[in-house]
Amino acid sequence: MELAYSEERRRAEARREEDRDLAVAARGGDMVAFETLVTRKTPAVVSVARRIVGDAEDARDVAQMVFLRVFRELHRYDERYSFNTWLYRVSTNLAIDFLRSARSRERAHGATLHLVRLRQELTSSETTRAAEEGKISRLFQKVSEGMTGKQKAAFVLREMEDRDTKEIAEILGCGESTVRNHLFNARRVLRRELERLHPGFVKRREKP
Amino acid sequence: MSASCDAVRARFTRYGEELLSEAERREVRAHLAGCRSCAGEAAASDPAFLFAAAPAEEVAAEEVSRILSAVRTGIELAETERRLSRARSRGRRVAAAAAVAAFTLLLPGAVRRGAERPEQVSAAPVKQPQPAGPQDAEGSGDRQVPRLSYLPAARPSESGRFPAKATIYDWNPGAGKDEPRVVWIVDRSLDI
Repeated sequence: MELAYSEERRRAEARREEDRDLAVAARGGDMVAFETLVTRKTPAVVSVARRIVGDAEDARDVAQMVFLRVFRELHRYDERYSFNTWLYRVSTNLAIDFLRSARSRERAHGATLHLVRLRQELTSSETTRAAEEGKISRLFQKVSEGMTGKQKAAFVLREMEDRDTKEIAEILGCGESTVRNHLFNARRVLRRELERLHPGFVKRREKP
Repeated sequence: MSASCDAVRARFTRYGEELLSEAERREVRAHLAGCRSCAGEAAASDPAFLFAAAPAEEVAAEEVSRILSAVRTGIELAETERRLSRARSRGRRVAAAAAVAAFTLLLPGAVRRGAERPEQVSAAPVKQPQPAGPQDAEGSGDRQVPRLSYLPAARPSESGRFPAKATIYDWNPGAGKDEPRVVWIVDRSLDI
């Protein structure tokens, strides 16, 4: 009874603690602190992973891998820096790895991919309707297929997660100018793919 | 269209080129979140604006619990694997240490004995040392392996086995004061 009570009390305390303090406690072996972090951060990790890998179930798999990696690598976390940035770095790296391996699998099944693309082109009007109905995420996955993992991650973090370029540079482990370069190329791919999948989309929007 | 809309639209190009300050950028995004007309105009000029409005993935509480549970299981599995691997490598280290001890201790003794007398290998319990050498072999109950130099060196005799889980080997139990003698103890489960 005493043990159960103590654990409950610790859980209640942990819920009030900041991310950084929880990470430090977890690093010292406090499983309650670690589980509190997992519970608190799962929605954000799933969200960024979903935007990068595209599929909801894949994003949940990536989230599990992220927290297992975080648990294993907690000793590397430097508490002078933001825990969020570190977590985003782990999440983004694993999501990019996942995306790369998924694309490799697609390349191995080139014929199937060709058919999928053909179907996508044939249903471009459906795609547009989906966008107009607010199903922007699906459209993003289609038009971002031509991006590299880093370009996609930089775009997701900048435009969808609203992170500044300095933090994105820390997350991706590169310079700010490289981040801006990724963003420039990502925008170019978006425009090109959007125009290919739905010719006139941009033009029509220019003249409302 | 308000003056504010004009000001915001004038920033679209610089937004896309990453030339706005973070404060200006926040103003643009805040305005677009509440102005459908400007949001449409923005998406037309830069598709990035279209996707900036994408809502975040919603994760239900049950899904968070499911992920937490999977993470717990993953950690437990990793811990079990680590323990097993550690136990395996400990076993290998002990066996390797026993083998290395046998090799390193036996070799110099065999060399030092040289041609002065024939190589003799015998094994006996430590508490009942038996003199080595062909003249004594017949009289003793120990297993003798005459004229065998180097390895394999010694085998345990029945009497060399202890009721505990170890076997004591004695190479050259009858060695004189200045002669080499090697004794080693091996866990029976790792018996070589």
